Amino acid sequence: MKKILFWVLGIIGFAQVAYADINGAKATAMVENLTKEGIEKIINSTSSQEEKNKVFKQLFTENLDLDFIGKYVLGRYWRTATTQQRKEFIDLYKEFNVQTWSKRFDEFKGKKFVFNGTGSANNPNQIYVNTSVPVPDGQPIDVKWRVYEHNGKLKIIDIIIENVSLAQTARNEYTSYIAKSPKGVEGLLENLRSKIK
Amino acid sequence: MLNKFSKYIAIMTVLGLCGCAGTKESCDEISNETSGLESYNRAMFSFNNKVDKYVLRPAAKGYKAVTNEYVRQRVSNFFSNIDEPISAVNHLLQGEFANSGNNLGRFAVNTTLGVVGLFDVASSIGMEKNKTGFDETLATWCVPDGPYVVLPIMGPSTPRAATGFVVDGYSSPAYWMAQESGGEDAWLVYYSASGLKYLNLYAENMSMLESLEEGSVDYYEAVKSMYLQNRRKMKTCGIEVQETPDYDFDMGDMDDDY
Repeated sequence: MKKILFWVLGIIGFAQVAYADINGAKATAMVENLTKEGIEKIINSTSSQEEKNKVFKQLFTENLDLDFIGKYVLGRYWRTATTQQRKEFIDLYKEFNVQTWSKRFDEFKGKKFVFNGTGSANNPNQIYVNTSVPVPDGQPIDVKWRVYEHNGKLKIIDIIIENVSLAQTARNEYTSYIAKSPKGVEGLLENLRSKIK
Repeated sequence: MLNKFSKYIAIMTVLGLCGCAGTKESCDEISNETSGLESYNRAMFSFNNKVDKYVLRPAAKGYKAVTNEYVRQRVSNFFSNIDEPISAVNHLLQGEFANSGNNLGRFAVNTTLGVVGLFDVASSIGMEKNKTGFDETLATWCVPDGPYVVLPIMGPSTPRAATGFVVDGYSSPAYWMAQESGGEDAWLVYYSASGLKYLNLYAENMSMLESLEEGSVDYYEAVKSMYLQNRRKMKTCGIEVQETPDYDFDMGDMDDDY
């Protein structure tokens, strides 16, 4: 009996090591730091737009795992895409996102994030950091950050605003575009190339 | 094996054999748009975009030029307050008595202390805004959402959302006031006020819509996806909505869902 107990405890112990839960406090601190830097160095900063874009690109690419998101966004087409196409897609996706988001800085003026703890995700390596943004009229906007741990580093893999997941939206949009385009993945790449200034 | 299982689930859900719970909305999403409906939706979406571009946007820009943030906020508060009784009635129909009381309390406070609703005094004394409508009531009663439909001018909708919109319109105190007085002038005021309500809403969200369009490769699909995801927030059959659907990159052919 003791032996069995020993093994059971051993297995539970091993399982806990193998699937060590992501640390909620660390994930929160990471998102907190990102929003703080974003507000200080971009939104409330008096520096030039060019400088702001540069800082944003750095914050964006350092804190978001765009390789992971890019793969998810391409969905089943990731498997059929060539290595060259995959690489180009990730690069274009990064550029396009930075370009789009840089134009939205003004919308965040005067806003602040309130941190409301964390929630669990389906994967022990991932966690939701829950925040809300108070607005002058109506209920605060609900913003969830999906954070995961990869190679010892914490990265954001999705931002969910009022239940709308940015990764999911992009995936619906991009896979639908590829399905309709006669050139498939290449068609999407051409479109993205033309959009990047 | 897993693949076969997921295909089975997909067939079951398309056939509408899924329960009325958290999974309900995903059922709708899978089966929601036949190719015929999609071509109509896309055509209507592109028509609406032209109306946006040539009518609404210039009107909203003009409106923005003659008003400031402060004025637009007052307009928004005023219409929000007028609709507070709609929320009160619907919260009652949903069995949410405390929320219904809160709506009535807010209406009383904001109509008096808040000068006919121009100022949201209630929020500052802890009576938080909590709006609802007939669409949400229908969801609570397990009425299915139906397919995604783009309506003329109104834009993204579903049969349930559209029903909710119409019923809310007829149950609005503003409508009843116009009905009661019956005069042509009353209706003129009512329609002008409704126009102003939507113009104000549009003006407040215009820049967001513009940047969304610029940032997408298929604007139609992006709007549809966002609209449907956002609707999943609604309580269905009285059950609190699940978290945003979890995804895992390795989870089989998840994109079959779209």
